[in-house]
Amino acid sequence: MKQSIVAAAMLAALLPGLAVAGDSPAPDNARVYIIWPSDGATIPGGKMWVRFGLQNMGVAPAGTEKPYTGHHHLIIDTDLPSFDTEIPADRNHIHYGKGFSEGRVELPPGKHTLQLLFADHNHVPHNPPVYSEKITIYVPEQ
Amino acid sequence: MKTLKVTIALAALIALPGAMAGDSPAPKNAYLYIGWPNDGEVIRSNEFKVWFGLRNMGVAPAGVEKPFTGHHHLIIDAPLPPMDQEIPSDHNHLHFGKGQTETRLTLPSGTHTLQLLLADHNHVPHNPPIMSEQITITVK
Repeated sequence: MKQSIVAAAMLAALLPGLAVAGDSPAPDNARVYIIWPSDGATIPGGKMWVRFGLQNMGVAPAGTEKPYTGHHHLIIDTDLPSFDTEIPADRNHIHYGKGFSEGRVELPPGKHTLQLLFADHNHVPHNPPVYSEKITIYVPEQ
Repeated sequence: MKTLKVTIALAALIALPGAMAGDSPAPKNAYLYIGWPNDGEVIRSNEFKVWFGLRNMGVAPAGVEKPFTGHHHLIIDAPLPPMDQEIPSDHNHLHFGKGQTETRLTLPSGTHTLQLLLADHNHVPHNPPIMSEQITITVK
């Protein structure tokens, strides 16, 4: 019994690449990161251009199917969504389907988190998924 | 005679802009800039990163025809090419047709100029052309 649990765990460990990611491959050295703002930054007024950094992959507008390309999604004040379906489109998940490499964001006073998640022509993350570290920024009370 | 010269100059001013740009329109507020390095930067390595900054337009790989998109071209140690034809592809004109938004450059020690020029699916600049300022850097 114990052995079969271990075997199941090992199998599960092998699965993530298959079960919880999309169909579009990403190179192993792909990296997405937030160029600006930096982690821990204080943004008076709460209005900013968030600059999207991407290494070893390219940007393409949504709907354009080209190998090793995708478009940026900015995840605000929430955790990463599941990797095997389309990224939701709401206030916490901003899609940049026109191929933008920076986005204008306005946030109310308080503590906020920002994270980038790259996704393919269908808005589904790549395999392996390509996402940035989650950063925290502060917007002071006016 | 003087009037004729002025007239010719005026005619050229009116006629040229259309002739000196490609067919793909760009929004008036499109803004292209080199995010890093800064103008005047002294870089103590022959290999360094260049960030391509673009606002109010999108990036698309070469060959992809979508309105208000294009791909980056980095012009190194050269003036801007003609705006009404395909950007040359050589050591002074690097194409980023895979939709890249940054690169690693290797340049010999010395003073160099860098400038970005966006171009459409056919590698022809937009109308109006979208270019960054030319910056000067020193590689030590």
